[in-house]
Amino acid sequence: MRRYVQSEKLSSFLLLRGADTLDLLYIGYGLAVLALVFASYLAGALGWLPHDPRAMNVALINAPPLTPGHLLGTDFLGRDLQARLILGIQAYFVPGLLAITISIVGGSVLGILAGYRGGAFDTLVTYFANLLDSFPRLVLILLVIAAFKADIYYVMVVVGITGMPAIASLVAGKIAFLREKSFIEAAHALGLPAHTVILKHILWLNCRAPLVIQATLGMAEAILIETSLSYLGFGVQEPTPSWGNMVLAGANYFLQGNFWPSSAPAIAILATILGFQLLGDGLNHLLEGKRR
Amino acid sequence: MLLSIENLRTYFYSRSRRAFVRSVDGASLSVGRGETLGVVGESGSGKTVAALSAAGLVAGSPGVIGGRIELKSRNLLDGIERYVKVEERDGRVMAAEKDERGWGRQVRRLMSGVRGKEIAMIFQNPRAALNPYSTVGAQLVETIRLHTNLKGKHEAKDKALHWLERVRIDSPRLRFDSYPFGMSGGMCQRAMIAMALCAEPSLLIADEPTTGLDATIQARIVELLRELKDGTGITTLLISHDISVIRRLADRVAVMYAGTVVQSGTASQVLRPRDSRQHPYTAALLASVPSAETIRAKSALQAIEGEVPDTTSVPRGCRFYGRCNRVTDAVRSRCANLEPPLSEIEPGHKLRCWLHAA
Amino acid sequence: MNDTLLEVSDLSKHFRSRWGLASALTGQGRVIPAVDGVSFYLKQNETVGLVGESGCGKTTVGRTVLRLTEPSGGRIVFGGRDITHLDRARLRPLRREMQMIFQDLDAGLNPKMRVRAILREALTVHERPGDAEIERRIRELLEQVNLKESKLANFPSELSGGEKRRVGIARVLAVRPRLIVADEPTSALDVSIQAQVVNLLRDLQKHLGLAYLFISHDLPVVELVSHKVAVMYLGRIVEMGLSETIAREPRHPYTRILWSSVAEKHTAETTTAKDIGGVFDFEQPTRGCRFAPRCPLYQQQGRPAVCTDPASEPPLRDVGNGQVVACHFA
Repeated sequence: MRRYVQSEKLSSFLLLRGADTLDLLYIGYGLAVLALVFASYLAGALGWLPHDPRAMNVALINAPPLTPGHLLGTDFLGRDLQARLILGIQAYFVPGLLAITISIVGGSVLGILAGYRGGAFDTLVTYFANLLDSFPRLVLILLVIAAFKADIYYVMVVVGITGMPAIASLVAGKIAFLREKSFIEAAHALGLPAHTVILKHILWLNCRAPLVIQATLGMAEAILIETSLSYLGFGVQEPTPSWGNMVLAGANYFLQGNFWPSSAPAIAILATILGFQLLGDGLNHLLEGKRR
Repeated sequence: MLLSIENLRTYFYSRSRRAFVRSVDGASLSVGRGETLGVVGESGSGKTVAALSAAGLVAGSPGVIGGRIELKSRNLLDGIERYVKVEERDGRVMAAEKDERGWGRQVRRLMSGVRGKEIAMIFQNPRAALNPYSTVGAQLVETIRLHTNLKGKHEAKDKALHWLERVRIDSPRLRFDSYPFGMSGGMCQRAMIAMALCAEPSLLIADEPTTGLDATIQARIVELLRELKDGTGITTLLISHDISVIRRLADRVAVMYAGTVVQSGTASQVLRPRDSRQHPYTAALLASVPSAETIRAKSALQAIEGEVPDTTSVPRGCRFYGRCNRVTDAVRSRCANLEPPLSEIEPGHKLRCWLHAA
Repeated sequence: MNDTLLEVSDLSKHFRSRWGLASALTGQGRVIPAVDGVSFYLKQNETVGLVGESGCGKTTVGRTVLRLTEPSGGRIVFGGRDITHLDRARLRPLRREMQMIFQDLDAGLNPKMRVRAILREALTVHERPGDAEIERRIRELLEQVNLKESKLANFPSELSGGEKRRVGIARVLAVRPRLIVADEPTSALDVSIQAQVVNLLRDLQKHLGLAYLFISHDLPVVELVSHKVAVMYLGRIVEMGLSETIAREPRHPYTRILWSSVAEKHTAETTTAKDIGGVFDFEQPTRGCRFAPRCPLYQQQGRPAVCTDPASEPPLRDVGNGQVVACHFA
């Protein structure tokens, strides 16, 4: 049985009119994660850590959380987990931003070339995008690591470049949609110059929401890649903490019954990636998908 | 009466606006055997949804919530009260509860053997309604074998060709093996008509059969429908916003506005009244199309002020009040506060207007 | 005073149907002559109606005349200037004088911009008025198109069809054009709203002295609003003249069929054009008169050879009273 009720008054808040409680939940959680990550990043960058992340305390190895002085416990060398977790954010935050910037800026340029100029450009960009798409990302990353060095920034450049086709097709798709409604033609007919049409009408007004969403999802991907690489030993190396290598280091102790040193970073990874993904999903539903 | 729709209510719920879109809000129509009833109205009038409801094609939330649809004395909405609970306030539905799965099953039970066989439909966009992966001939044969007692392949094929000839399609044998994308709009429409009629249905529902076709093709399709009507005596429910098509084909006409029927009667009563016994909306609608007079005098068209109403808000009085240009002070307060009932002002002629209420 | 605003001579527009990289290199691929030699002129304060069925090229004529798409041949003279091959920079300031109302109701309306912002942008494209001036002009535009001030705060998705059409017209009026090409201005609207728009366009012509190229397939409306009518078929004008003459005394067989199909819905006259669509058919390229395959006159006259003679496509002949017809026998 489904029940439908006509409401007397309509909520005046434009967005909430279409919002599901689920969307609000997703977005709320996502924003909380984002705020925490950003704050932690700043704390880490400015050195405001509860403990020196390198200070080893042999007496307090693998201490559980809520041990006095160590809110989240210590790892197998007695180092404060909370401090290391906070510092671990450094490993992916700025590199992640680099990746999404490259994807979005590069992808938008390609998308505009393909959609707005069309013709030969469209064909060229499509071929290029298909080319990029056909390379397995992980293989490319490993190649770069082997050819150059295991630097997370190099890796993120690759991630950024391989993310361009998706953005390009998004932007080109929006342009196609506008073109079909004679929007672009009408703008030209009025006399609007090309740069206004592209920057203001296409990008800012129509694409910024999906691009922001893609940015959040891209960040989630970047975190996943960085932590995976570090877990595999290719990313950030000891003693510099990365959530990935912390999971790796704690793995030995997992089987001995010391779950915490491995679980803490693992939970952090899960919760953070989930946060970005849900943020993107919720925003997508709210801003883009709710139209009839 | 072959088809009798009584007090049909079909609503759709809009989550973003948290309100019912009252597409059909208590409409009653009836078509006699061999007759063509033309239903006229603009967007938002509910005419298409009413037709789809009659054919059992409304899957919706909540969809059909009340009324009676009788086809040859069989109620196609039989038992709907069991599946729908409605809460009203001041005569307006404010909440509805519906067992959609249960009703879906009931509809399947009620409509099996009816849809396609007794009721056939033709739609607005002919190419979209035909299966693009199957030839016209194959689709016709399939329909014939399914819905008539001609089960053999060869007999069915002969019948199919016979119908293709009857709809005057160019080179029927060639078209039998053609796919819809290879045919023009007019030809596709003829094929669709053939498919609808080859099942020898009791009722044909035609939803905007000429819209979207070129002017010259429209004329030919109208001609064809006229011919088939005279030749087969089929009962037709014709939906259109094009009054000239209605004029040419309908015996009786119903005018719909904002989900209700505001006028119904014979074609001459509704479209060519000799006196003022006409609904103000009908009059205004007829006047907004350029007539020979208007063109000769190059005068302005009579436009109806305002917009087609939003069917989510529930007006208190007459739904046309506010756009009506025939309101007099004598009836103004009634028009604003009470919805006029559909009253019979002469035999067979009903009007929903305080200016003509008994 | 009443000089010619727009003069179009032998305009043509060919589309290449591409087959991909290979044929682009070899230069092959089919050419579709959407517009194939169209000539007419338009004076200030005048409306020329352009009618025809789908595929006849009327929309393409409208777009080409405004240089929204490049002509393949012919000449366009606007306000005395040859604009056929004018470069973008010099064309831009002229753009304001010749505008288009698009068939799509959403054209020009960015779904993320409110009506006020849309109008404001239109007003600032070619001029730089101050804020007070902009407010004044917005109010003026709303009055001209009969739109309520409350609509300024709405997004296009919150507007009805008729309102969207009016915002589109206001947007175009903001740049003060002299010529408006109206491409099917009434098609996506309900009948009662169509009447509103038609009345509006006529009022605007009276008050602002606009010239219209009125492209439509709605024959009664075209007859009502136009001074002259041109009938197109497969890329060419087959008949042209005063609107009363075209409607009541058409000479070309196609025009006759078109107009009788409107009347046909009222009466029992039968038409005899075959059901083939008026789209360019590569299988049977036209030789001679394009209408011959569907023409009842061709059949009646016993299929005369001159109609299918590739060397003699019937030219537009003057038959008096300002009427021209392209037919060997009309």
